[in-house]
Amino acid sequence: MLDSTTHLLSLSGVSKRYGGVRALTGVNFACGRGSIHAVLGENGAGKSTLIKIISGVVQPDEGTIALEGRPIVFPTPQSANAAGVVCIFQELSLMPDLSVADNISIASPPKRFGLIDKRAQRRRAEQLLARVGCEDINPQSLVKNLPLSRRQMVEIAKALGRKPKLLILDEATSALTAADVQRVYGILHALRDEGLSLLYISHRMHEIEELADTCSVFRNGQHIETFPKGTRTDEQVVQMMIGREWRNVYPPKPVRNAPLPVELEVRDLGWEDRLAGISLRVGKGEIVGLGGLDGQGQRELLLAMFGVLRGVTGTIAVDGVAKTIHSPAHAKSPSVGLALIPEDRKTEGLCLPMGVADNISMAALDSMTRGLVVDRALESRKIDEMAKKLKIKFGKLSDAVATLSGGNQQKVVIAKWLLTGARVILLNDPTRGIDVGTKQEIYQLLRDLADAGTSILLYSTDYDELIGCCDRVLILYGGRVVRELEGGDITEANIVASSLNISLTEKAGAHA
Amino acid sequence: MIKSIDRPTLIASGFCVAILIAGTIYTLYTQGTASFIEPTYLLQQLKIAAFLGTVAAGMMVVILLGHIDLSVPWTIAASAMIATAVGGPWAIPVGLGVGLAVGLINGIGVAFLRVPSMIFTLGVNAVLRGLMVMLTGGFAPQSSATPIMSWLANGEPLSVPIGGGHTWGIANAVLMWALLSAALVFMLTRTPFGRYIYAAGNREAAAYLSGINTRLVLIGSFVICSLCASMAGLLIAGYTSKAFQAMGDAYLLPAIAAVVVGGTNILGGQGKYSGTVVGTILIVLLQSVLSVMQMPEAGRQIIYGVVIISMLLVYGRSKAIRG
Repeated sequence: MLDSTTHLLSLSGVSKRYGGVRALTGVNFACGRGSIHAVLGENGAGKSTLIKIISGVVQPDEGTIALEGRPIVFPTPQSANAAGVVCIFQELSLMPDLSVADNISIASPPKRFGLIDKRAQRRRAEQLLARVGCEDINPQSLVKNLPLSRRQMVEIAKALGRKPKLLILDEATSALTAADVQRVYGILHALRDEGLSLLYISHRMHEIEELADTCSVFRNGQHIETFPKGTRTDEQVVQMMIGREWRNVYPPKPVRNAPLPVELEVRDLGWEDRLAGISLRVGKGEIVGLGGLDGQGQRELLLAMFGVLRGVTGTIAVDGVAKTIHSPAHAKSPSVGLALIPEDRKTEGLCLPMGVADNISMAALDSMTRGLVVDRALESRKIDEMAKKLKIKFGKLSDAVATLSGGNQQKVVIAKWLLTGARVILLNDPTRGIDVGTKQEIYQLLRDLADAGTSILLYSTDYDELIGCCDRVLILYGGRVVRELEGGDITEANIVASSLNISLTEKAGAHA
Repeated sequence: MIKSIDRPTLIASGFCVAILIAGTIYTLYTQGTASFIEPTYLLQQLKIAAFLGTVAAGMMVVILLGHIDLSVPWTIAASAMIATAVGGPWAIPVGLGVGLAVGLINGIGVAFLRVPSMIFTLGVNAVLRGLMVMLTGGFAPQSSATPIMSWLANGEPLSVPIGGGHTWGIANAVLMWALLSAALVFMLTRTPFGRYIYAAGNREAAAYLSGINTRLVLIGSFVICSLCASMAGLLIAGYTSKAFQAMGDAYLLPAIAAVVVGGTNILGGQGKYSGTVVGTILIVLLQSVLSVMQMPEAGRQIIYGVVIISMLLVYGRSKAIRG
């Protein structure tokens, strides 16, 4: 199967680790000529690392790469480009204030007497745009004036300008609407028929069905299986993606007979085109999870509830009283009682150069103020209490919080919000980049808080976490709640299936 | 809580002593006197430092937020000119009112319109200058300082007779600076507002998401800066007994230099007030000693610039942590 003469590109025994995390382990992978090859996997399965290695962004620790049968090393992305491997990344790489023609030839503009030959550059842009079926785009117009779908076409034209043998598309359609996606498919099929090889990364199962000739599934940094399109059912693919591992690091969930009183109720929440008609309830002492693929509106939902976003429609009620939350300062006030553990603790959660103590008391300083002055005795008593309760490890309370480990930093963020005495805690992927031991402590803490009557809304990119921690899980897709899972229905298969917005007919408990 | 003296404060203090020693060696050698370490000279320098120190105190608050206020020169001039034009008992309240208004405009421009402070305050400075030219264009308003203003700057209620008809007096301007300093230290270290300034200066996003009203912090800080500038304007007018155009121009860059030499991070978030005080004294001493040494202007500017840059390089070595 890894006969490198018939394959355009083949990897054998490729491994990559980042610090202690194994991103790829002994991957053997091959990609044929003139075909579209889809790569599937959950968040963190190793797809991005695979692409980065193929396109020369990172170097493998072990293993070899062969292009057209000859072993090859790509020390930089430029060398991969030169060899005919061109990547279109998830984030568009176009400069909005330059023209389409400038962008297409940005790396190696045609020159005349050492100056950029504008006319040749325009002709080149016209030819490449014609190849992707976009003769209507004026090469002179600025990229920022083009709609998103057209920009994606320019991006593909730009990549084609580098004369690729292998074109890699990483989530290239995630920003497009369904109609635009169809156009892109047409173009990709045409390119394949011209003999180009395409490697296609996507979360969307439907897309892969329609587009790919061959599929490969990755899980936990390993290549699981490669198979021709149509030889596996959706259920089989999902099973391949999730595997069978199970770790028992979660505290037991309480068994409830009576429904919980509603603490937080969101009705028909909308924001721009990212959130639409979201309604949800969190009971007093309940842990509700938010799941789904990355970027389906989970972050926006939490920010909208916390008063960060402008122009949010719909209503939010806490303890039965409707609130119009217009700022985080209002959201944390005792009359509302929300707390948000933000996504990025280093830039949103903490002031890294400031001391541990200053960070812990930052959100609750109002409640520790007598007259004009901060009551330092009260403050240090409360900080000590929190540091003990959360077992935060630090040298001195005045040490910069930047000196703490990731797990302890996250505990500081949580401590900061616990001090406000919040009734509802919103968490945005709180265990990302944290060691397993601290994760377990955080799970236990969340359950303890819930048992003490705090309501918790937890967004996590880790499906295990949603299954292990949550009493209920809501799956978001395209800014909407597409499924609500409860009790035994919270299985990895169900979460993955609803995240991809396909329906499986699996019964409760089959995968637990 | 003074656990240990801040490192930049210590270095800047050491530098002040070094300047005095170098100047004294020079005067001993050329004139046979040690005029730089005579109390009369030092008290005089302290009085001059009080004007710059008052400006620098306000500037520090804004720099702690990672912003800057370039409208200070004409806030000084406008406050003094309008105060003297009004005259009488209302001179001082009106002068401070000008500062309050400028601060509010700056703060709102930066906090709500999100114009970078460097641009917005530069624009406000130009507008103020235009307004003052208009004010003095058609007619000549009264421009001499009121007696209270003169007394606040020059009066020496605390003076020690040292015989021979001489006294060592501490000018009111210095006392005003001391009062202002005490108030700022209290605000920065004891009140929530002070903490919020540091937090917002370190990482505005984190401060905002912690439920801190960062807009209010921005506006409050710009108001403090402008109020300090207008207070300095009133004191300078009292000192020179006149308000005049461009009277504040000589204070902007030295004030920023004093803050930064005192160890406040120009990007915001870090710095102690004691450093700004010592930094102010350092700048004033350096200017004075260089001019007494009759160094040519070109050489003075070079030494002045080199001192500021080299002090920042020394501090830069110890600052590894940034978000």
